[in-house]
Amino acid sequence: MMLREEERRHTETVTLSGRMSDRLVRPDIRDEFGLETMDMNMGPQHPSMHGLLRLILELDGETIVRCDPVMGYLHRCQEKIAENRLYPAVIPLTDRLDYLANIHNEHGYCMAVEDLMDVEVPPRAEAIRVLMSELMRLASHIPSIGFLLLELGAFTPILYGFRERERIQDIFEAITGARMMFHYIRIGGVKADLPEGMEERIWNYIESLEASFKRDFIDLIEGNEIFVARTRGVGKITPQKALEIGLTGPPLRCTGVDFDVRRDYPYSWYPNVEFDVVTDEAGDVEASYRVRVRECYQSMRIIKQVLEKMPEGEVMADLGRRLRPPEGEGFGRVESPRGEFAVHVVSDGTDVPYRVHYRDPSFVNMQMLQEIVPGHYLPDIMPIMGLIDPVSGGWDK
Amino acid sequence: MTVRLPEGDLRERLERYLEGFREHVELDEAGLEGNLVRVVVEPGAVPRVLTVAREALGIMHLSFITVVDRRGHFDLTYELLDLRGGRVQVRTTLEDEEPVMESVTGIYPTANWHEREAYDMFGIAFRGHPDLRRVYTWQDHFDHHPLLKSFEISTKRTFEGLR
Repeated sequence: MMLREEERRHTETVTLSGRMSDRLVRPDIRDEFGLETMDMNMGPQHPSMHGLLRLILELDGETIVRCDPVMGYLHRCQEKIAENRLYPAVIPLTDRLDYLANIHNEHGYCMAVEDLMDVEVPPRAEAIRVLMSELMRLASHIPSIGFLLLELGAFTPILYGFRERERIQDIFEAITGARMMFHYIRIGGVKADLPEGMEERIWNYIESLEASFKRDFIDLIEGNEIFVARTRGVGKITPQKALEIGLTGPPLRCTGVDFDVRRDYPYSWYPNVEFDVVTDEAGDVEASYRVRVRECYQSMRIIKQVLEKMPEGEVMADLGRRLRPPEGEGFGRVESPRGEFAVHVVSDGTDVPYRVHYRDPSFVNMQMLQEIVPGHYLPDIMPIMGLIDPVSGGWDK
Repeated sequence: MTVRLPEGDLRERLERYLEGFREHVELDEAGLEGNLVRVVVEPGAVPRVLTVAREALGIMHLSFITVVDRRGHFDLTYELLDLRGGRVQVRTTLEDEEPVMESVTGIYPTANWHEREAYDMFGIAFRGHPDLRRVYTWQDHFDHHPLLKSFEISTKRTFEGLR
């Protein structure tokens, strides 16, 4: 394919290492002391990087002048694969998108197909979906607090975080049969009802988590001198800027913008439960930690309400064996732990999707790196990554 | 320093959006469906519609840009959220073998990477984009746009025998 004019204009300054810095384009550029800036490569294989991400940094001393994320190291072209699978066969693929919040991906995709086919999902299935989503949110937020602290050099919180994630994964294993790639939410309902005694087990677990949460994740961290020194005022972002960048989820809420898909675009069983949307004013890394911690309490509150009010009945709508949605388009939008996860499915009337588009929060929130990191010191990158909390499978699709 | 989010009745607000678009831009088609304002325009009018949405109507959030390859033309969907239950969908059709679209990064900066993705996957050139590079695939030696329907994959399967 011939290069178009637009493309050619841009490839002129593009090399394998992404866009070249001004220094390489104009080698005579010097600052006031006659010193040059330095290009540095961070990643893709980096011990503290969240998956495979490469950052091309331009440094002036230890201050970052430019940060250019290079993505695609985990790109599997999920959207193309989905165009060659039957509708239900796309669900296990969505598990591999954001692999710390699989249930939300499945839920978003299934909602889009249900929107397309006009399916009525049984209330018990919806309640189980909400229950699973909130457990998943706990299993994603708690380790992410640990990751943030690990990047600041504290090793204990990640062990506590993974201990809790492990316990939640045991519950998931008992319900779905898998520890990570669940394939549990199906088009029209969920795979199977909760096993015997599971509601009581989840209740007991949430009680024990509530009892130990403050000790393990708040008392240990909040107010710690090193933690405050490394996070307060770091990655500071204003609400206007956050909305311009398109942030959603905890990175948006920590700036004070009160937006949560669960409340503002209600879906599934969320209208039947009560919860607060957690916000914070500071808009820095510390605020994002506080938002995540307080969201965990809201998740526990939702789980308890769902268990108390769990409706009886079927867990799967009768759709027949082979799904052939009518021609048209369907949309699904859920609040994943990282923000707004949206799916757009286009059907041409056959049993294979014509087009599936995922709007992944990790991908959009990562734009923040370009905007916010310049001006910070090099070691501040990792706390800022902890603020965004992106997942490699999500930003690379 | 706070952001003003919309208030009031959802239905009223959606009607206000629809009126606002009708007032400022020539629309091919427009309508209300549930919590969704659906607007269909010429490709050239998209930046103007989005400017009206952001400046006059105060819709702050661009959720995503979907491109659909219809074998011969491209359907573009811009989904906007007012963050309080209202959705606006701006649709357009690009009739071109080598499509060029006006960039909306000046209006919604978040469109930056969405447009880079669309360029990478479909080869749509966005005029006025500040940094139009591929976002996922190789920068050099890769002349394909994988989500085009003309890009065949080697493991293409049919599901004829299945029941």
